[in-house]
Amino acid sequence: MTNRLPEWAQPVVDYIIHVGLKNTLIIASTSVVLSVVIGVVLGTLLTLDARLVRSAVRLYIEIWRGLPIIVTIFLLYFALPTVSDELHFPALDLDPMRAAILGLALWGSAQIAEATRGAVQSIPREQHEAAAALGFGWVGRHTYVILPQAFRRLLPPLVGLCVGVIQNSTLASIIGVPEVLETAQRSANRLAVPTVDPATLSIEGGDSHALEIYLFVFFLFFVISFPLTRLAAYLERRLH
Amino acid sequence: MTVFAAFDWQYIWDHRQVLAEGLKVTLELAAIGIAGSFVIGLVLGACRAYRIPVISQLAGVYVELIRNTPILVQIFLIAYGLPRLTKTLQFDFFFVACLALIIWGGAFNTENFRAGFEAVPKRYREAAFALGFSRIQTFLNISLPIGGRIALPSSLNTYVSVFKNTALMTAISVEELTNVAKQSIDLDFRTWEMILVLAVTYLTLVWLLSILIRLLERRLALPEAA
Amino acid sequence: MKRLLFAVALVALAGAVTAALGVAAPWGGARADRGARAGAATKLPPLPAEVAQRKRWKIGVKCDSPPFGYINRQNKVAGFDVDVAKRFAELSFGKRTRVSFTCVTTPSRIPALQRKDVDIIISTLTWTSAREEIIDYSYPYYNATGRLLVPNNSSIRRLTDLRGKKIATTRGSIYDRYIGNCFGSATKVLTDSPVGALENLRSGRADVFMYDDTFLLGVAANDPNLKMTTHKFLAVPYGIGIRKGEPATKRWVDAAIRQMKRKDEFWAILRRNSPRQFWRFFLTNVPRPKTKEAYPRGRVPENECPS
Repeated sequence: MTNRLPEWAQPVVDYIIHVGLKNTLIIASTSVVLSVVIGVVLGTLLTLDARLVRSAVRLYIEIWRGLPIIVTIFLLYFALPTVSDELHFPALDLDPMRAAILGLALWGSAQIAEATRGAVQSIPREQHEAAAALGFGWVGRHTYVILPQAFRRLLPPLVGLCVGVIQNSTLASIIGVPEVLETAQRSANRLAVPTVDPATLSIEGGDSHALEIYLFVFFLFFVISFPLTRLAAYLERRLH
Repeated sequence: MTVFAAFDWQYIWDHRQVLAEGLKVTLELAAIGIAGSFVIGLVLGACRAYRIPVISQLAGVYVELIRNTPILVQIFLIAYGLPRLTKTLQFDFFFVACLALIIWGGAFNTENFRAGFEAVPKRYREAAFALGFSRIQTFLNISLPIGGRIALPSSLNTYVSVFKNTALMTAISVEELTNVAKQSIDLDFRTWEMILVLAVTYLTLVWLLSILIRLLERRLALPEAA
Repeated sequence: MKRLLFAVALVALAGAVTAALGVAAPWGGARADRGARAGAATKLPPLPAEVAQRKRWKIGVKCDSPPFGYINRQNKVAGFDVDVAKRFAELSFGKRTRVSFTCVTTPSRIPALQRKDVDIIISTLTWTSAREEIIDYSYPYYNATGRLLVPNNSSIRRLTDLRGKKIATTRGSIYDRYIGNCFGSATKVLTDSPVGALENLRSGRADVFMYDDTFLLGVAANDPNLKMTTHKFLAVPYGIGIRKGEPATKRWVDAAIRQMKRKDEFWAILRRNSPRQFWRFFLTNVPRPKTKEAYPRGRVPENECPS
């Protein structure tokens, strides 16, 4: 089937799939994992009685959920490195890929924290009390009794988060990470302008293929996301 | 700590005019996007809930397509893809931005309103029909006030997202707040100053909107849901 | 249910592992480029210590700006700037492959340099006095000249016709400020990449596209609906961006550029990257043995409006 693609399209598809899609999946999976780890911990802390802890976590959630993700990414990518030298903390020199991953993880962890709070609070008090009576401490109670039960409720928002993170990973293109959208843009840009192929010295390009390229990207994302949103809806239904 | 010490409030003050203009464009985009997605959500949501033939199916496809693709890709498709199709589909970028926001918000809102209308107990509508209300009257007097209120929290969340999405219009050079701030970072490299302005402005507006939402929710909540 | 949980956990784990392995080198290095290993070097100053130790240059180039830096159909980075970078590698280590490229965009290139992602940036970087306050510029390596690209049926012939028109160009470029300073009644239509600006002209969102001749000429020759006007303006060279406080790097880069100029290598690189029918238009665009280039220091060319 790929043989029937027009001559210009094959390298574009290869580039978008082999480079772009690979990076999109790396960005998405890493930030989902980070989001879940940070989010579950913070969400559990939100159910504590300690007011100070709760307010601190609340602030975290409201900030990273409230900011447009692109502003978070600008903060991480453009602003942080300007202070890394003075703080003697070179880890702040995030490359575009890491800045994008971290920006998405800050947003994602805020979502997961909120969902975790709801899930943990939905577990009846008796479960806490029973576990306490069995001699579990706070950590043990949550690790072995509460969170495993809460996880069922957490699953639909988790799958939803995957979809959100995959879609928002396109924001990384704005700081030049070669994910799907950026590779598509680069391809569209090359084709829009005549260039010389150094191997053959022939001239190629000069004709815009923006419509075909962006449509391809559109359906590529659809094919990835649609099964996931179906899965989330299915899991949601199973809860009730 | 020279960067922190060198933080230049004066720079922000000197740029207040461009920033204010950027904010104005952001607010315009948000207002248009929110109004548009309200109308689309209401109409298509009703068509979905009451299974109006053809329109309901088309709306279903529209909702799935938009919800399962990144808005940034939709923006590029409208901005650069559509004009290749026919010259009549060339819009200036402000219009492209509005269109993208409305299409995106409309899809999410269609779902919100569909769920709201479907949650109206069937017996209410049957009662209305029994009283001799027409379908339209039933919708306006029963389904809309009750279903609309049920849909309110989720649709208000969609409006907050629409507002935040205006920042993406940076990618197609609409001179909204994020873009204006980024442009002066590109020229003068006063990064912290501009990022601070962005963060404070967006957080203030999003938080204000959220507070407003909570107030509204409380006022409009259905008595029995309380 | 259990199986599902397991699957989710597995996917997450796989993701984390790929990420850990993959994040480190998402851009990859340059691939082998067969061919000339001509004239390794007349004497160049010593390489900057870090580069010498690494035995490899790290250079930021554009990936969205043909013909200077773009991704070619072999999905490799290519173009005029890229060829200059490869020649640097050859002059340093005898091998054109001893350079790792990082794709930078107009807004990200100077931050990428400052955060030491790269040693230098060769990325269509026009000289401006504001930029020179935060980074150093090499000896100029390309003379860009501003031109206008218009649809065939356009009434625009010269700069003075621009009043009240919609002008496409790239954000933050010298043309951006020139239009702001001198054509107040015109509307700017700005994009990050010149190709975006071109699309705006093609689709009618802009009446005219003001940009570097190198880019516009290729477009004009290929698109029967567009033409260039004869007017030339704003000749401001591109330079290679170097971090402040690294005199060794600047010394080496300047010496390399002068040597390439003496041997007319920029001309060879330009011919490799530009269709043959345009060569004659670019005779003065690259540094050649007898040309003189200089940045307009002390002047502000974008403030000098046409009368």
